[in-house]
Amino acid sequence: MKKAQAGWLWGAIVSLLVLAGCGNENAAPSEPEKQARELVMAVSKDIKDMNPHLYTGSMFAQGMLYESLVENTEEGIKPLLAESWEISGDGKVYTFHLRKNVTFHDGAPFNADAVKKNIEAVQHNAAKHSWIKLSTKIASCNVVDEHTVELVLTEPYYPTLVELSMTRPYVFVSPKNFIEGETKDGLNGYSGTGPYRLVEHKAEQSAVFEANEQYWGGAPAIKKITAKVLPAGETTYLALQKGEVNFAFTDDRGANNLDVEAMNQLEQSGKYQIVRSQPMNTNFLAANSSKKESPVHDRAVREALWYAMDRELISKQIFAGTEPPADTLFSSNVNYANVELKQREYAPEKAKQLLEEAGWLAEQAGGVRKKNGAVLAMKLYYDVNSSAQKMEAEWMQDQLKGIGIQLDLIGEESSSIASRRSSGDYDLLFNQTWGLAYDPQSTIAAFTSKSSYYYTTSGIAQADELYKKINDVMVSTEEQARKSLYRDILNIVHEEAVFIPLTNGSVTIVAPKDLQGISFKQTQYELPFERMSFATK
Amino acid sequence: MGRYLLKRLLISIPLLVLVSFCTFCLMQFSPLDPAEVVLQAQGVPQITPELVAQTKAELGMDKPFIVRYLDWLLSCLQLDFGHSYVTGKSVWSLLGPAFVNTLKLTLVSVAAILVLSVALGVICALQAGKRTDQAVRAVSFLLASLPPYLLAAILVWYFAVKLDWLPTSGMDSYKSYLLPVAVTTIGYAGIYFRMVRSAVLGNLHEEYVRYSRACGLPERKIMLHVIRNSLQVTTAVFCMAIPVILGGTVVVENVFAWPGLGTLSVKAIMSRDFPLIQAYVLVLAVAFILFNTVSDVLQAALNPKLREEL
Repeated sequence: MKKAQAGWLWGAIVSLLVLAGCGNENAAPSEPEKQARELVMAVSKDIKDMNPHLYTGSMFAQGMLYESLVENTEEGIKPLLAESWEISGDGKVYTFHLRKNVTFHDGAPFNADAVKKNIEAVQHNAAKHSWIKLSTKIASCNVVDEHTVELVLTEPYYPTLVELSMTRPYVFVSPKNFIEGETKDGLNGYSGTGPYRLVEHKAEQSAVFEANEQYWGGAPAIKKITAKVLPAGETTYLALQKGEVNFAFTDDRGANNLDVEAMNQLEQSGKYQIVRSQPMNTNFLAANSSKKESPVHDRAVREALWYAMDRELISKQIFAGTEPPADTLFSSNVNYANVELKQREYAPEKAKQLLEEAGWLAEQAGGVRKKNGAVLAMKLYYDVNSSAQKMEAEWMQDQLKGIGIQLDLIGEESSSIASRRSSGDYDLLFNQTWGLAYDPQSTIAAFTSKSSYYYTTSGIAQADELYKKINDVMVSTEEQARKSLYRDILNIVHEEAVFIPLTNGSVTIVAPKDLQGISFKQTQYELPFERMSFATK
Repeated sequence: MGRYLLKRLLISIPLLVLVSFCTFCLMQFSPLDPAEVVLQAQGVPQITPELVAQTKAELGMDKPFIVRYLDWLLSCLQLDFGHSYVTGKSVWSLLGPAFVNTLKLTLVSVAAILVLSVALGVICALQAGKRTDQAVRAVSFLLASLPPYLLAAILVWYFAVKLDWLPTSGMDSYKSYLLPVAVTTIGYAGIYFRMVRSAVLGNLHEEYVRYSRACGLPERKIMLHVIRNSLQVTTAVFCMAIPVILGGTVVVENVFAWPGLGTLSVKAIMSRDFPLIQAYVLVLAVAFILFNTVSDVLQAALNPKLREEL
């Protein structure tokens, strides 16, 4: 009997080993054809709360459900829910003529009253919207007639239309979904005017969107889009290989967890195509110029850091060329950012020279430099959940060691890093600009904000001048004046090297090979699904 | 027995209070301003000092530490565990479904672990030192020492992608259970079967076995006694496996997109979602106390000697 037992066991072990040995090529994974007319998208996080007047929900999903008055496109601001508009001579009154025959998903009409209710609901929670400066400038919103609405500002504010075009908060929810006339404590439904409706949401599992057949811009071709929560990148990759999901998009922070290698392999499999957007934003190091006890306070050190970083190599080695090296805080396709700035190419010798001139000297060759007893050592904080940042940081540590700068790397949760940024408790940290639709105005407005880049910018000689110019540019009404102010602002922060650019981030889409009409919006957070369709064979 | 149970339950109340107080204290030590972290978790793009102050007042964080704790304790006694700071939903509506999902996974896994550990443990003990024993121990050592995420990725790749037998992730049908259960089982069974094995081995050398053999009792009967006696030792371990797995499924849940407690708790901790963390810790503490008690009762049932002590 013992023998029989042993035999059975051996059989089991051997078969296990055979299974593990694998290498079986003929079992082909199922084709994604089963879901021919549907998109099943991998998302790393649940879509959460779809209330667009708060910030917990996924922006891509909110972008499918809701729309704003105007749209930010590559050619500038275009009509969306407003067909046309006029701006008063003093720049304080915006009159919008609304598109007619638009209804919310629940059948309620979209009209001037709905616009007024939504804008007022946002304003009632203004503290949460302080990042969007328009929220501090709206005096009132008045109904003129059924399809005309008037927005009155306290002072002229040139980015008004741009800020009205953003995914949140100035988008429109059916007033029937309001709770006690407000949106700040939640909604009882998520009816927008957008091309898709939310039909099912299983928390932490999936969300199903169906085409809005009554959409004023015509019913979208893709009738059903499912967002499936897959927190682990390995699983996302395997699920794409198998065809359980057939779509993913990832921003510069690898939001949906697919790395470059995984995407390339999917493309090589022949079932998927990879589509990349133009540069959307810039990844950079923020240098805490206000921290007097740290070497980073010294402009020469910041410039040396800039010269000592081989961004070409970072782009090539870490991002496999998908993120081009960035030379300036904003790439030249950003509004007002096409200005002539001094090039700081990779030049370690120049970096050394700058340090020598500033008095940072090495006692022995290869050692860490010192000045008046202070050691040239700085702490760089990176997001522990970003493998790219970790690799970049290690790379920099190695590169800087060569010129006598000691870089200490500290990985933390993104919330801790944000907290350091707002308390000024850092030397260097990774950050990124907000993205095309928000740049330059939102990123630049954040220069003055304690919770954003105040500590980065406040230690420079021209800080007061910088803040004044930022204030002026936001209220300026003349295009020429604006251009010149932006040029000055960009010049100051560039000269002072407080934002050390690394690479330009973009959006990458992994989609079935026969998916057509893939395009991008002016933001890395959303995609125009309504323009996509499957090729008919 | 009844008195024993009552005593056990009464002791557990101060224990729960202590556990919750410790959690509260630990959260207090965090260098980050909780209101700020909550606002970040809510995705607010720009956090102004005014907004932090306003949020603190809204969430009652401006009150002294001990007052907040007592407030919380009081509402707990009324079975009100509050609302999540981040989503505003009631804690139970978040924790409940996640708990059920993880419990399902845990119970199926523990059943598999039990069967596999006892079977392998007994077989290995009987074959101690022989090839079978060595092979099982070697393979289990190898599998149990693989990091769970790696093992999970290999299994998904082979069974879900290559063979196309199972879904890669999710929680849609009974098929969805196989891979996560397999990963959990392999990890724990590799450890637990050794306990069974050594317990059986220990019992095989007891005098009652020699005596039974001398009396000519059939080997099968002797084995039944040996197994029963060996299980006594391992009952406690298996009972405690349930809460241990309940609180330790983070990696498996992450890889298999299983909407359970592990994922929920990690997110809650990252976003300093106090009410959610507190409720999670309480649920786990209750689970530990409960299964500890169950294990005592089971042991008493198996061992008359212990019964007198209870």
